[in-house]
Amino acid sequence: MSMKKGISVTLACIMSVMLLNGCGDKGGTESVNGSTEITSGSTESENEGGQAVNEGTEATGEGAEATTGIVTISVGNWPSTEGASLDTRESQKKAFEEKYSEIKIEPDTWAFDLKTYYPKAAAGLLPTTYTCPFTESGKIIRSGYARTMTKALQEVGYDKLLNEKLMDIISKDGEIYYMPESCYALGIGYNVSIFEQAGLMNEDGTPKVPATWEDLLEMAKIIKEKTGKAGFAIPTSNNSGGWLFTPIAWSYGVDFMEQDENGKWKATFDTEECVKALQFVRDLKWENDVFPSNILIDNAEYQKLFATGQLGMIITGASITQPVSTYEMDPNDVGLFAMPAGPERRVSLLGGKIYTVSSGSTDEQVDAAVKWYEYVGVSPYISDAVASAQQQEIDTALAEGRAVGVEKMQIWNEDSEVVQNYNRLVEENANVNINHFKSYNESLTDPSLEVQVEEPVCAQDLYGILDNCLQEVLNNENADCAALIKNAAEQFQTNFLDVYAEGN
Amino acid sequence: MKLKKKFSAWLLMIPALLALYFAIWRPQIMGIVWSFFKMNGYNAEEFVGLQNYKEVMADTEFVKILLNTVKYVIWSLIIGFIPPVIIAVILNEMVHLKGFFKTVLYLPVMLPGIVVMLLWYYIYYPDASGLFNIILGHFGIEPQMWLSNANLTIPLIVISMTWKSMGASMLLYYSALQSINGELYEAAILDGAGILKRIRYVTLPQISGVLLLSLVNQIITVFQVMEQPMTMTGGGPNGASISLGYQLYQYAFVSGRIGHALALGGIMFVFLAIATAFYFYLNHKIEQNVD
Repeated sequence: MSMKKGISVTLACIMSVMLLNGCGDKGGTESVNGSTEITSGSTESENEGGQAVNEGTEATGEGAEATTGIVTISVGNWPSTEGASLDTRESQKKAFEEKYSEIKIEPDTWAFDLKTYYPKAAAGLLPTTYTCPFTESGKIIRSGYARTMTKALQEVGYDKLLNEKLMDIISKDGEIYYMPESCYALGIGYNVSIFEQAGLMNEDGTPKVPATWEDLLEMAKIIKEKTGKAGFAIPTSNNSGGWLFTPIAWSYGVDFMEQDENGKWKATFDTEECVKALQFVRDLKWENDVFPSNILIDNAEYQKLFATGQLGMIITGASITQPVSTYEMDPNDVGLFAMPAGPERRVSLLGGKIYTVSSGSTDEQVDAAVKWYEYVGVSPYISDAVASAQQQEIDTALAEGRAVGVEKMQIWNEDSEVVQNYNRLVEENANVNINHFKSYNESLTDPSLEVQVEEPVCAQDLYGILDNCLQEVLNNENADCAALIKNAAEQFQTNFLDVYAEGN
Repeated sequence: MKLKKKFSAWLLMIPALLALYFAIWRPQIMGIVWSFFKMNGYNAEEFVGLQNYKEVMADTEFVKILLNTVKYVIWSLIIGFIPPVIIAVILNEMVHLKGFFKTVLYLPVMLPGIVVMLLWYYIYYPDASGLFNIILGHFGIEPQMWLSNANLTIPLIVISMTWKSMGASMLLYYSALQSINGELYEAAILDGAGILKRIRYVTLPQISGVLLLSLVNQIITVFQVMEQPMTMTGGGPNGASISLGYQLYQYAFVSGRIGHALALGGIMFVFLAIATAFYFYLNHKIEQNVD
């Protein structure tokens, strides 16, 4: 009996200890690099902007070793699978650590995703630096999980060279919280084979470029007539539809929201212009029959339709090269031209990614992160590291079978030598007929094309509401566009702008 | 001696209790507690009482989403509740190939959920490549919109859910049917009862307990439907298939509104707690009757 009891007690103890061990907080005191003596880098004096440090973010600030002077930063978005991308990143890490022996890079394969972001942030498990989309910048600052980078960027002079259009995204109350990683302007992707079949290619390999949305519609009708394929579409679900509808609406003269003198946001898109923009989408299907049969399309399905030759034209950015490798599309079948003009404006949407440094990080870690960005090619100054990173980026794209030929939108204010060098490399290493992208590449520096950043607050929520409008007009021939827009504006005001006055 | 025995029992239960505490009780209780707070990510900032609940229920789409969820439940009872009973009765009456049909009908249960959703997504695909449209094409009928048709989207999703889960329900009913004493049927036959009367007066009363429990269980399960609208329609068209569960997911993981997600979880919890209490009450009654 006593033996039985002894076994019971032992078993119960072992299982309890194992369970508690499994539930233990690993973010609080454990070192990210296994070092023995670590300073807590989250004291307020070490934070530049006085940004409140959340209890859960302390782990990221523990990389500075007091005894050895080693600064450790964990870097998110690390490639997780074997291949050219991982090899490139590893070689950049090696070169970086050779140059800066006092800095250690800890790879972290986590990439920003709202599903895992808040739990990781609350547990103090965010990497020291990682990228996120422009649209999430406000949320992260408001949550207190971003650390200011003003001092570090001022020291290297980046703050003066950044594209002014990006300043509203990366800064708040005079403090810079983010470093832009890349940006893009949307254009129109087209399938070269379909264009050839429809007689829409010129002899020099450039496409016929529509000047207006009406011209684009005419081209879509020709595609449908001559090839039987859908000519043009926009996605309609998972917020992708709203995202791509906004530049169409802007070109019709729509302002989606404005802030009054009291700081309150008002939905301002219940207008005739927005109704006309929605009517344009409706007519794609019901008047002109150029839309695919399936109207519930998310961005993945949208790109698949395009890459598998079922759709002639899509709205996209430089990321059009990605589905080429995913669906093994011939890179020479991909082209991109500039956004057409609407009745009021010729405008494209400016999107992109920004580097964030987690709020518990030390000054040394921020400096180390900024140094690291140079090694992945993000710096306004050309250096061996930047030139090498750019060459590696091109080589990786070639190795992964992506189309090389699309130039980059600038994150820098002027025509920096870094951008010029990148564009030269693109031209030299292009694996496609570069004329397929000529119109788009030229539009990046064309002053007649406006670029506008995404809506400032509740952008994703607005996209979701617009998705519903798109689905309805494409599903119901008799849908009342004016009523839908009126309802959408009221819904956006009541459910989001009135509730989330400050955050986005 | 009795105390010592109890001590040993509790000692052995500690790991399980701890696991339950960390994995189920604590998250549920914290979820309810935090739903009364203004949340910053997963940090509770300030007690705001019922503010989150008010905002969730004031959402202009809330009533529509609640009604959609009720539609899922009603359609699942119409489409998914009766067929497994009928199939179980037929199987019970069969003499040959019983094992074969049991296996075939159970196969969809073994498929991963996402596979079933994608399979049905392509069966319903609205162009000429969708399976249903291919079949209709043979009869000269134009391709239909299927899931893109706001009036059909919920019943069509429920059909796919039923196809996946029907085998398990059918086996449950079948085992209940197997446990009915054959003498009851013999007595009914001697009294001149035909097949319908035997079902009405013998079969149904004998399996009513299981039927009732399955009914409540199905209501609870379907009320939480989320993955199917997320995968097959994205909640569309124009919100016609969005459910409370999917809206909760949207609050938490698309919009990052944790407070609202917790409040909506609290509202669903109240609905489900009532249904679950009813379930346990029925279960208790049935067990008493069996005893």
